[in-house]
Amino acid sequence: MKTIVSAAALLAASLFAIPASAANLVLYTSQPNEDAQATVDGFMAANPDIKVDWVRDGTPKIIAKLQAEIQAGNPVADLLLIADVVTLERLKEEGKLLAYKSPEAAAYDATLYDADGYYYSTKLITTGIMYNTSAAMKPASWKDLAKPEAKGLVTMPSPLASGAALIHAQTLAAVPGLGWDFYKSLQANGAIAAGGNGAVLKSVASGEKAYGVVVDYLPIREKAKGAPVEFVFPSEGVSAVTEPVGILASSKNAEAAKKFVDYVLSEKGQEGFLKLGYIPARNGMKVPDGFPARDTIKVLPIKAAEALKNTDQDLKIFSGIYGSN
Amino acid sequence: MQGYVRPGNSQPAWLFPFIVISVLFLSVLPLARLAMVGIAAFASGGVIDVLSEPLLWQATYYTMVTSVLGTIISLLIGCLFAFLLTLTDIRGKGPLSFFFVLPMMIPPQVTALAWVQMSGPSSPLLKALSLAPPLGSPQSLYSVGGIALLYGVQHAPLVYLALRAGLMTLPRDGVEAARLSGASSLRVFRDIILPLSLPGIIAGAAISFVSCTGNFGIPAILGIPASIFTLPTLIFTKFSAFTSRTFGDVAVLSAIIAMISVAGLMIQDRALRGRDYRVIGLSGANAAFELGPWRLLFTPFLWTILFFMLAAPFFALVAGALVPAYGVPLSFKTMSLHAFQEILFRQAVTRTAFINSLSLAGATALGLLVVAVLAAYALARRRDAVSRIIASLIEIPYSLPGIVMAVAFILVFAAPIPVLNVSLYGTIWIILIAYFSSFFAVSLKPVVSAFHQLDPALEEAARLSGAGFFRRLFDIIVPLIAPAAGASVILVFLIACNELTISALLWSAGTQTLGVAIYNLDDSGSSDLASALSVLVVLMVVVMMLLLELLAKRLPKGVVPWRS
Repeated sequence: MKTIVSAAALLAASLFAIPASAANLVLYTSQPNEDAQATVDGFMAANPDIKVDWVRDGTPKIIAKLQAEIQAGNPVADLLLIADVVTLERLKEEGKLLAYKSPEAAAYDATLYDADGYYYSTKLITTGIMYNTSAAMKPASWKDLAKPEAKGLVTMPSPLASGAALIHAQTLAAVPGLGWDFYKSLQANGAIAAGGNGAVLKSVASGEKAYGVVVDYLPIREKAKGAPVEFVFPSEGVSAVTEPVGILASSKNAEAAKKFVDYVLSEKGQEGFLKLGYIPARNGMKVPDGFPARDTIKVLPIKAAEALKNTDQDLKIFSGIYGSN
Repeated sequence: MQGYVRPGNSQPAWLFPFIVISVLFLSVLPLARLAMVGIAAFASGGVIDVLSEPLLWQATYYTMVTSVLGTIISLLIGCLFAFLLTLTDIRGKGPLSFFFVLPMMIPPQVTALAWVQMSGPSSPLLKALSLAPPLGSPQSLYSVGGIALLYGVQHAPLVYLALRAGLMTLPRDGVEAARLSGASSLRVFRDIILPLSLPGIIAGAAISFVSCTGNFGIPAILGIPASIFTLPTLIFTKFSAFTSRTFGDVAVLSAIIAMISVAGLMIQDRALRGRDYRVIGLSGANAAFELGPWRLLFTPFLWTILFFMLAAPFFALVAGALVPAYGVPLSFKTMSLHAFQEILFRQAVTRTAFINSLSLAGATALGLLVVAVLAAYALARRRDAVSRIIASLIEIPYSLPGIVMAVAFILVFAAPIPVLNVSLYGTIWIILIAYFSSFFAVSLKPVVSAFHQLDPALEEAARLSGAGFFRRLFDIIVPLIAPAAGASVILVFLIACNELTISALLWSAGTQTLGVAIYNLDDSGSSDLASALSVLVVLMVVVMMLLLELLAKRLPKGVVPWRS
């Protein structure tokens, strides 16, 4: 009996040659796979002694995964690099984050990071409108999406799958003249809300839909590759998320995690984001090709504390308008 | 513990208790835990909240509708192939049978992805052929009909295999007697073959129905974009809005899926009860019908169906992997290998997923084989009520949808294990244990049937000469059941390699399986990468099946499922 058990254990152990060494960071991120891999590769090139495993999913899903792991007493992640500060603010209030004062913070606007060092914004990601170049109308304002020309041709990400989409809905809901009524008028015009930003890009680029509410870098990057799409910053302004990075209090590799934070905030890390087509958060950096100058982009304000307080209610309102997805 | 060692049965005293403990751990513990959490949710009134959600009843309705329609489609396709390939003299049976079983071995989300790439305005294939529908056309597969159609394609091989087994043993005498009395082919088919093949058809329908209710890959890719949720995808989305109530909620949802599948199996039981299908005479109604000129119609017809089931989606998948950016028509000028480069040389997840899937599948197949051989030995030698109960307990996890087992194991391991104080949740071990539980029955079946064919005299002789249990096991039993054991290993390996339903809920950083990797790539909008990885997986499956085909000559009859 013992021989069988030990033989089976040996067999299993030999099959699972998955290294679990100490300097193994686990990053939970909401960046698309290629970008996440590029970020991690850049960090590992700068810190060859640290290996990073990463998992990608939409911000709400990745946080759900983390919460389930925390409840099971086995949080796997050391670091989060996710869409919005609101989510990290909540984790900070729950005491799940570790404070770290990064020396790189000096090169950042004080509004872009947490004063106690719980999280740091890494880039500026705005949400605007993309359209397929064969579409009949060239949208210039959010309200154009509710016009009859766009009937049944609009798609947007669901706040249940995308952190940027939630912030976007909360931002527009607070704009006079738009608000939840605007979302209702879109729904009445046959707009659908499902999946994440990737799904919107695919749907519009391939012509299933003509117009999409989407984060800026995806269509701008795809257009450069030859996809038949255009991106516009609507006249009312755009919502923005800043993809902050934060370390979990439960991390067993806090020292390595701090190095990761320093790296993504450093000039080199920010250059990497620029190359991938994101607007870097660090002062004095360029914007990627295809973007207007940073000071010409009109970013709509969002009150983080209110957004945090109203998240569950706003999700309910949204689900109520669009069915639960 | 009396009576474990019987006269004329020299099993070691530990063997049977070991099997009982394994079965308790793999079957009884998770399901009992699921029942407990469900009952606790009932007691705390949480169930009322879950049951009063309209979304739940909608999901139950969609699950039923898609599964019933999917079962009908799979019956139509599966029966057509089974009758034509077993009862007629159609040419090319070998390749037809091989290709027809292939979709069963391919992960459902790959099938779904391929069909999406094949149709609709986004199809790179149709764009390349300038056949794509105009801007704004909806993707017609994102519907109840689309989900049902793919269920049908995915599960038709199950019906085919179940029915074929029955047709192989049809008595030839009945057919010949009817022929001699001047009955037409149609009449023979209607009055003799059809009634006798009913058990196979009903068994196939039941397997197909249960597989449909538990399928995750197809409704995840086709249903979620259109807000069509089935119970498995609803469970999955419950986990993406995690609250303190989530565990209780999914326990209730799993119970509903389990009830639907059990109801399906009970209907099967009822349909077969009270009938007696024992027949005497020579079996093997091979080529009972000569097609004659009809062959010219049926042969192209079958190949056309296979073309649409396999070749067209596969080319669409390849096309989807070669486009440089979404919406760019594919031509020799625009073709790019970027997606393959990214998947093969840059994405760490590819390597992780291949290693995880292959090692999980290998460990499951080999580990289960050890348990299955011991269990088969114990069960074949003891024929009492206890061993019958054990045998049915092994069957249960396999007949329940994977997502139910996954939820049950999450509940078992959600808290750190007492005494040891380690947590398995979020590690690769929880996936392995769930696989062990779910595929035990698959592994056991061929081994048990081999044991039933063993002549006990050989082992008796060895025992009388004083050979111990392990000596007898390795020198006599193992060589005799080796072919069946080989088949068991390969089948479990193929099934576990392409599994998504269980791992979709249990994966974590570094423990992604191939199924999860493909689903996540597509979910993040990188369908070119998802397609590229899918192409690699399909090629891997085909290579494995070809290996099995090459080995088939050395294996006993009936081990390789698609061969006669």
